[in-house]
Amino acid sequence: MKRSMYLLVSMIVLASMLLAGCGPAVTVAPATAVPPVVVPTQPVAGCAAATGTAAIPFPSGGKTVTVAFSQEPDLLSGLFSSMSFAQWITQGILVGLGTWDANNNFIPELAVEVPSAANGGVSADGLTITWHLKPCLYWSDGEPLTSADVKFTWQVETDPGNAVYSRAGYDQIASIDTPDDTTAVLHFSKLYPGWQTLFTSGPNNQGSIQPMHLLQGKTGLETDPFTHWPTISSGPFVITDWVAGDHLTMLPNPNYWKGHPKLDQIQIKFVPDPETAKAALKTGDVDFVPDFAESDLADLPALEPAIHTRVDAGPEFEHYLFNLGTKGTGVGQSDYDGFCPFKDVKVRKAIILGIDRQTIVDTLLFGKTTVPASLWPNSYWYNTNLTPYPYDPEQAKTLLESAGYTAGADGIRHGMCNGVDTKLSFNFETTTKQLRIDMAVAVQVMLQQIGVEFKPIHTPSGTFFGNYASGADMATGNFDMAGYTTGFYPDPYTDGFLCSTVISKQNQGGDNNYHICDPALDTLAQAVNASADPAVRKTAIDQIQQYMYDNALVIPIYARANVMAYTDRFILPPTSVISGMMGDMFDWDVK
Amino acid sequence: MWTYISRRLIQALFILLIITGVCFLLTHYSADPMSQYANKQGMTAADRAAIAHSLGLDQPLPVQYVKWLWLALHGNLGNSFFSRQPVLTLIRQRLPLTLILMVTAEIFIIIISLILGTVSAVKQYSAIDNIITSFSFIGYSMPIFFIAFAGIQIFAVQFKAWGLPYLPTGADIWNPKNLGALIRHLVLPVSCLVIIQVAGYSRFLRSSILEVLGLDYVRTARAKGLSERTMLLKHALRNAALPFITIIGLDIPFLLGGALVTESIFAWPGMGRLFWEYAQRGDFPVVNGVLLLTGSAVVFFTIIVDVLYTFVDPRIRLS
Repeated sequence: MKRSMYLLVSMIVLASMLLAGCGPAVTVAPATAVPPVVVPTQPVAGCAAATGTAAIPFPSGGKTVTVAFSQEPDLLSGLFSSMSFAQWITQGILVGLGTWDANNNFIPELAVEVPSAANGGVSADGLTITWHLKPCLYWSDGEPLTSADVKFTWQVETDPGNAVYSRAGYDQIASIDTPDDTTAVLHFSKLYPGWQTLFTSGPNNQGSIQPMHLLQGKTGLETDPFTHWPTISSGPFVITDWVAGDHLTMLPNPNYWKGHPKLDQIQIKFVPDPETAKAALKTGDVDFVPDFAESDLADLPALEPAIHTRVDAGPEFEHYLFNLGTKGTGVGQSDYDGFCPFKDVKVRKAIILGIDRQTIVDTLLFGKTTVPASLWPNSYWYNTNLTPYPYDPEQAKTLLESAGYTAGADGIRHGMCNGVDTKLSFNFETTTKQLRIDMAVAVQVMLQQIGVEFKPIHTPSGTFFGNYASGADMATGNFDMAGYTTGFYPDPYTDGFLCSTVISKQNQGGDNNYHICDPALDTLAQAVNASADPAVRKTAIDQIQQYMYDNALVIPIYARANVMAYTDRFILPPTSVISGMMGDMFDWDVK
Repeated sequence: MWTYISRRLIQALFILLIITGVCFLLTHYSADPMSQYANKQGMTAADRAAIAHSLGLDQPLPVQYVKWLWLALHGNLGNSFFSRQPVLTLIRQRLPLTLILMVTAEIFIIIISLILGTVSAVKQYSAIDNIITSFSFIGYSMPIFFIAFAGIQIFAVQFKAWGLPYLPTGADIWNPKNLGALIRHLVLPVSCLVIIQVAGYSRFLRSSILEVLGLDYVRTARAKGLSERTMLLKHALRNAALPFITIIGLDIPFLLGGALVTESIFAWPGMGRLFWEYAQRGDFPVVNGVLLLTGSAVVFFTIIVDVLYTFVDPRIRLS
């Protein structure tokens, strides 16, 4: 009886599953299958026909290089991917109206010139930006590339049916006029000072122009095959082959406005292990590895002269930040209070003075980068008037004494904070990256010498960077101090210092990780967004840095470095901090 | 027999249901896919919310699970959160090369283990047994990454430096459809897997054979005048092989999961890397898809092994 019941129940479950399997499937919505509007191939009026309609095949004896990436890109679209590896590759295939050169100057790419007030490209009120495209531009399939593609890109960015990476800025555009094939007039609904990041090839390559003739009429483009693997190009190369998990191949675009790149082929191999990548450089299996970690600097220089190492200043910096949150439910308040002693500027300053950042750079980073004084190092926006706080443990001790924190029996200081005897002992949260672990150990020892107990907690980055809903400590404000890398991308983002962006239950989408609500800082951050004039903004951004420096609100640890290695046969031209190491594929060459 | 198989299959479905539920919960709490978008300057809360909505992450966890299960029952493992490609496509892209690597390694592992284990047992405490035992312990105690990097340094880097024919590091561009290239690229990763696995397997088999050789029926077989070879192959090995078959049977499903460390070091585009690379980013559909595949394989190969027992050992009857 028992056995029969068992069999009966089992059969019912099995039958249910099979029936379920026969029913209508819930499918993941693909890109809407609306046939694209096919524009017949024809030359732009007054222009010669396109040079070709497909990538230029690799010639016998042609020049080729193999690049090793530690990760495979997920999909090749700056609009839909947040992955650096994806963005680097797309810089060679889908470009924007402007880009940044090796000196970090904003320069035209598909445009004739960069809009400015002087050339009439930026209106007096800053609300209208006019771009003029180069004449006679073609996609690699021979279709014309016109201002209609610029307008279409805006429509893709703002279509709610597309899960784009970011609509920031695009959602401030009220309309785009395209009076002719080479003119796109952007009308902003309100001032958007960071307009240079729109429709341009910054580090995210989020503004790459999209081909209207292939994608028009579609929505849900994140699942479109073109988003995964763009088959045509507006840049120097076209991706002609992608073997999943292994490599992809890029051949020259016959219609690129600059002409034929110096190389006839670039192949990108996915090599997860840096030791394998080093071995492959030695054997010549690989010519260029653009993404070594700073810790690899320990042995890379030993590979000279056959293998060259280059360390470029990166657009990012590692920093430690204090949780300055105040518990409450109002605007600018958090779910948790920050560590009480951090509210005292003397304590914050003492901690900065107690960390020997230069020694960290000299030992753990082999002296290949710098200690910044403030935010956004290696950029136009960096406040060069500031000098990093020195390592001065004696001054740190004096400051802590004057703040009322005296050494206890265990050597750790304590004192009254908000009427409570509080020990200067706090948690520090960061990821499990080895360099961060090593650095935290060093900081722990340094701070112990001034009577401060620094307790590192390392969590996987997927958890550490979780959002509010996932309960991540940094997002919810349930931490004392945290450390991670941030940058300027290429416009400094100062909204993260506004009271209105403090993350809390009432404001879960905020991004003020400092949980700071300081009226003076708030005013300065708002001033950054009040003008489109870079000079005015520079002044405001300098003031923010000065304020944060004076009040010791942040501990910049070191400027991140792009560590690259390449074989002697490979010629790697100077690269832009902003566009990244892959931004100049056109000029790559071999001896 | 058929009743037994039917019952086991029904049980298997229950087990798989439990496996999927547990894996779904574990993967969900192991990483937050939205963390990829944390601290991405220029992204607004609305941007993040739109992406979370498009991925279905704004729905309650049970709803996400039921939707995923419903799709899976229709043979659709969903789309990757990041590459946005169907998970089945991603698995189909990686599975063939994984099977080539793992099955080749497994074949060598079985053959070499059988030979070494048998020789070592038959020649117990001889010089050859001591040599095999020593090398087994060395192989067993070495981490695979050490063997792999040593292999690359010697047979790829140094051999090239010495002007000798050398093996590829795996980081070169090659075509798996070219048999010569495939074999060249298999040598080092397969060797690493074999060295590690053979050590344990051969020791296991040696113990198993030695245990059988001491039993009464073996002595009886010898008393009957059977040659050592016949006694070993027809009587001892057949019985000693039972636990060995169990281990191999349980290993086979894991061949589908690939070998993460070996694949990573030799840049082999296999399932291990697929799983790891997507797991790090909290890509639940891919992680759950791979786990469902390997979980199903484990469950069904266990049934196959149990059935095979009846053929290998007549004493076992399934009911």
